[in-house]
Amino acid sequence: MPTSFFGWIQLLLDKYGTLFLQGAGVTMLIAVVGTTVGFLIGLLVAILRTFPLKFTAPVWQQGLMHTLRFLLSAYIEVFRGTPMIVQAMVVYYGALQYLKLDIPALSAAFLVVSVNTGAYMAEIVRGGILSIDKGQKEAAVAIGLTHWQSMTSVILPQAIRSILPAVGNEFVVNIKDSSVLNVISVTEVYFMSRSAAGTYLKYFEVFFITAVIYLILTFTTTRLLRLVEKKLSGSDFYTVYGSQSDHQVQIQYTREGT
Amino acid sequence: MEGSMANIIEIGSLVKHFGKNAVLKGIDLAFPKGQVACIIGPSGSGKSTLLRCINLLETPDGGSIRLQGQDVTEMPTGLLHARVGMVFQQFNLFNNLSALENCVLGQVKVLKRSRAQSEETAMRYLERVGMLPYRDARPDQLSGGQKQRAAIARALSMDPDVLLFDEPTSALDPEMVDEVLNVIRTLKDGGLTMLIVTHEMAFARDAADRVVFMDAGQLVEDEPPQILFAQPRNPRTQAFLARSLRR
Repeated sequence: MPTSFFGWIQLLLDKYGTLFLQGAGVTMLIAVVGTTVGFLIGLLVAILRTFPLKFTAPVWQQGLMHTLRFLLSAYIEVFRGTPMIVQAMVVYYGALQYLKLDIPALSAAFLVVSVNTGAYMAEIVRGGILSIDKGQKEAAVAIGLTHWQSMTSVILPQAIRSILPAVGNEFVVNIKDSSVLNVISVTEVYFMSRSAAGTYLKYFEVFFITAVIYLILTFTTTRLLRLVEKKLSGSDFYTVYGSQSDHQVQIQYTREGT
Repeated sequence: MEGSMANIIEIGSLVKHFGKNAVLKGIDLAFPKGQVACIIGPSGSGKSTLLRCINLLETPDGGSIRLQGQDVTEMPTGLLHARVGMVFQQFNLFNNLSALENCVLGQVKVLKRSRAQSEETAMRYLERVGMLPYRDARPDQLSGGQKQRAAIARALSMDPDVLLFDEPTSALDPEMVDEVLNVIRTLKDGGLTMLIVTHEMAFARDAADRVVFMDAGQLVEDEPPQILFAQPRNPRTQAFLARSLRR
């Protein structure tokens, strides 16, 4: 048996390296799926919630919209207002006991993380939409675009760019918070660590490794997101075709302040 | 059907409230096809609201607005907006799109034109407003005057029957006002009906066929510019013109 801290680290890595790697893989998979699906849910909810209600609309349409808005607000309140660890238990055991559905733990994990993230994303996207001056929405209406068209072609592309840091935050939160899913036996990296720690009762050493793994995952993710942000902010250059003296010339301009 | 078909827009007893505040107190106006009308008046007189009611950016509370005899509230909104264009005080260009794409978007999505045809139309109007060289620039790369000219090209690209201008030069630096007004002047020859809310009295005097003076939600005076500026009859018009021309 090793006597030093690093000796133990060495031994644990040799013995459980693949276990840690598999766990890290599952963790990342849950974070990627949960954040992506959650983001799509957020976009959809935000588009629906910002749908303008015309006074001239028929009563049934107004009723439908009010019901929909109520349901969407309720969704957001419920999933933001309860811990994900509790949501996981309720969904997993609820399905098992009352629907006689033994959903695989990983599927339950995807479901819970996506729907939970969606509730947060809906608010983040709404904030992004509010940050775009409403003149652009008005101009979109004034040339005849529908709500859906103006959202997808004009408002959301800008809103998404401004909320990207917040979306990145959600991603990082999901990498870390997926650890709570160990309560429904999802084999993510925290669950794997507990199994590994149990054998030699070396909790500190194992969870030291676990901490480093989480840090590598989150650090890599934030750097990648920074790159995406840069990419989405668009080209800093544009070309002016022709000048007063020379109609053939093409002049490259750089945007100021970049 | 009331009125003659020569009028492209007919407004009858138009009423609009914001809360308890009556902004339009029964406006009656008709505009023949091809007319260039300037709407002037003090801030808060309801000029902009009148304009915004015509393309239903504001929902009227009473009265009627007809476009070539058709009630605008009964028209499909896409069709109404394709036929009545609008140029805003704050330009409101789509900031994520180039000047060219700003002009193409509505044509493709609303008029269902092909991409090639839309680009061709957009280029034609960008050239007309002198913005063709800047077609690839995004709004944050343009000056105020350039933005407004691109916004005019965007509205023209939809080939509207009527173009509404809501204080098109009020947000511009003084030296850029003329470049925009000159573009608007060149549009007069095209037979386009234009309703222009403006504080530029010199422009109203030399470019408009007709000047409408509004005050406190009412239509006060409605004359050709030669008459309205030379011999305003109503004391409210006289006071307003005295104030504006002194500046």
